[in-house]
Amino acid sequence: MGSRGAAAAAALSRASRIRSKLQSALEATVLEVDDVSNQHAGHAAVRGSSDKETHFNVKIVSPKFEGQSLVKRHRIVYDLLADELQSGLHALSIVAKTPRETKPAQ
Amino acid sequence: MATSLSNMFLKGIANRSLSRPLNGLFYCTRYSTSVSNDSDTHDDFKPANKLEGSGISLTNVIEQDVKDNPVMIYMKGVPDSPQCGFSSLAVRVLKHYDVPISARNILEDVELKNAVKTFSNWPTFPQVFVKGEFIGGSDIVLNMHQTGELKEKLKDVTSKQ
Repeated sequence: MGSRGAAAAAALSRASRIRSKLQSALEATVLEVDDVSNQHAGHAAVRGSSDKETHFNVKIVSPKFEGQSLVKRHRIVYDLLADELQSGLHALSIVAKTPRETKPAQ
Repeated sequence: MATSLSNMFLKGIANRSLSRPLNGLFYCTRYSTSVSNDSDTHDDFKPANKLEGSGISLTNVIEQDVKDNPVMIYMKGVPDSPQCGFSSLAVRVLKHYDVPISARNILEDVELKNAVKTFSNWPTFPQVFVKGEFIGGSDIVLNMHQTGELKEKLKDVTSKQ
């Protein structure tokens, strides 16, 4: 990545990077990305860290989760966000459902 | 000979430093890989070959942990004093069940933390194992609690003494 690219990536918030990575790979019908870092600021694991965007709640509804166990769905999300996890993303709370699962029970 | 001594040593680590329930309370000691550097550790009890830091010995420790402990959690803090909301949530869910919970505090040891991540191929904590099987983090544990899957998984786990 050239310096201009790096600068552009840095300017983009982690929330929007997470959003675009998940949206394009999972063709999500519902995608909610909430930065909840302030709820975890100062806890033992992130104290002293300069990263501000460390904790997110992510809700994804995607047909790609069909037939996948919860562990597999979470692994898919973690794999897509591997770069973020390497660069200061600390924790995700993940709700991963298929479109079928979000339909209200009959 | 060297191998068996080394295994005994590893088993010693595994047994000594696990947080185990004692009379319904958690008895917690700190986990550390720096045992062999302690001035009061006799040379005889050092591993024959220097494995610490390479990740190999820690993988053995983790394998032993999840084999010996039907409910094993790698977490931030200890069960009675979690250092992160997610670890706290996972422990609260597990405490609904009458099962012994064994725990290691990964905040105490960055090498253990990395070894667990590699072992499970999972980037975050807490990480819960039931009967040797990787279950997931707090979201999954909570979800399995709500659906009844966790109850099913834990039904043949011996209750606390």
